[in-house]
Amino acid sequence: MRDVFVAGIGITSFGRLEYPLAEIAAYPAMMAMQDSGVSSVDQVYVANMGGARLNHQTALASAVVDTLSLTPAGAATIENGPASGAAAIKEGFLAVASGMHDVVLVTGAERMREVNALDATDFVATLTHPIAEYIYGVTLPAHAAMFTRLYMDKYGVTERHLAMVGVKNQNNAMRNEFAHLQQPITIDGVLDSPEAFTNNPFVAEPLRFFDCCPVSDGGACIMLVSADVMKGLDRPAVRLAGVGQATDSHTVAEREDPTELPAVRLAAAQSFGMAGVEPQDVDVAELHDAFTILEIAESEEVGFFAKGEGHLALEKGETELGGVMPINVSGGLKGRGHPVGATGIAQAYEIVHQLRGEAGDRQVADARIGFTCNFGGFGNNVLALTFVREG
Amino acid sequence: MERNIYGYHCRECDTLHYPFRMRCKGCGQNDFFEFDSVALPTHGRLLTFTFVHNLPAEYEVARLGLGVVELDNGIRMLGQLDIADPVMGMEVEGRVGVVRRETYDDFHGMVFTAA
Repeated sequence: MRDVFVAGIGITSFGRLEYPLAEIAAYPAMMAMQDSGVSSVDQVYVANMGGARLNHQTALASAVVDTLSLTPAGAATIENGPASGAAAIKEGFLAVASGMHDVVLVTGAERMREVNALDATDFVATLTHPIAEYIYGVTLPAHAAMFTRLYMDKYGVTERHLAMVGVKNQNNAMRNEFAHLQQPITIDGVLDSPEAFTNNPFVAEPLRFFDCCPVSDGGACIMLVSADVMKGLDRPAVRLAGVGQATDSHTVAEREDPTELPAVRLAAAQSFGMAGVEPQDVDVAELHDAFTILEIAESEEVGFFAKGEGHLALEKGETELGGVMPINVSGGLKGRGHPVGATGIAQAYEIVHQLRGEAGDRQVADARIGFTCNFGGFGNNVLALTFVREG
Repeated sequence: MERNIYGYHCRECDTLHYPFRMRCKGCGQNDFFEFDSVALPTHGRLLTFTFVHNLPAEYEVARLGLGVVELDNGIRMLGQLDIADPVMGMEVEGRVGVVRRETYDDFHGMVFTAA
């Protein structure tokens, strides 16, 4: 396989966007072309989960490639639930690594706020098993809640630990101009004060409002290129060095140990193995914190901390900006927002931004190795990417 | 009409599946006509649960109880809970009831009460 580099990156503001889905995908792609200085593109992959259902838009990639006046370049839409973004990056990686293409745009977009919040939650729930899960009224927060209760029982994770993740990530988002949530929160406000119960009601017990990511519109893009193309560019060279993906049972209830996320563990191990690095070598990571418990559980499964000790590392501040293993300094899904199809690419955007040393007041010092975990379904389709700064 | 929830038993290796698989996850045999449908037991133990507050619009309740139950034969399934104050590990008994109503359809599934 050929080496694959990230030549350009782009992102929209996350939140409520008033322009069409195809433009939410095209805008960050245009930014990535400006960033790299490359505008001769062989292939465009567009990650999106809900265009057909939420926005009355199918065949999104055809719309995007034309909006960008990149026809007759190849184009395809990748729908892989909330892991659409990193799944599209994997396709882009394969296209360049195989030698078939030299320049591939991988862009992702979602416009979820076109519908109300309950419909958006129900739309995401359509990824669950139609007969054994969806008909019962299960939502993704409900899956996360049942997982949380087991985690609390087995490992001593408390509501306070969950709140600490939420406060950390939402406050990290204050340093990210593109983040959806631009409001600082405190443990007192969401947990301890007399008003906390009103501020922070249950979504799915024991998870509360501030344990859940917002419903967001947004788009993000990375441009993947071959070594030959990268050589001619005046941009810092960041290599996509490891790509891992693993799946697990469609229904969550069937899993042998319901407190484990084996697809996260397998995807991460593949990604690190391919890159030739250890989890402890990672300088900065973006984990899929759609719910606060997931940051804790994923930080263990990918190998940053021992199983059952993620919440202890959190207590010690190890996952903060400035800690030994900074996680979600962009704000994560919790603070930056979670436009489902774009999230895996927004994570990659942040890591490349960090490895280039361009992240401003949220920069992790001397970051050379970065990692992302994009978690689809409730852990039934997971991708893990490892990025390395060269030179 | 009596309604049951069915598991799928592999004639080759005895693995019991719920929900349906086209290939056996035990022996990997490739012919799905080698499965027998067997009604699942209704008694089991509650492993974990939640009350959901942000429900799809068609649910006209303030919060909905959901739980994962390990049935007496070891199959684990999601079901609705008709239990005011559930506790992890409690014994439950299931019956088939309407779990979701949409405009033209009622969907049936397992609803658990305290045993």
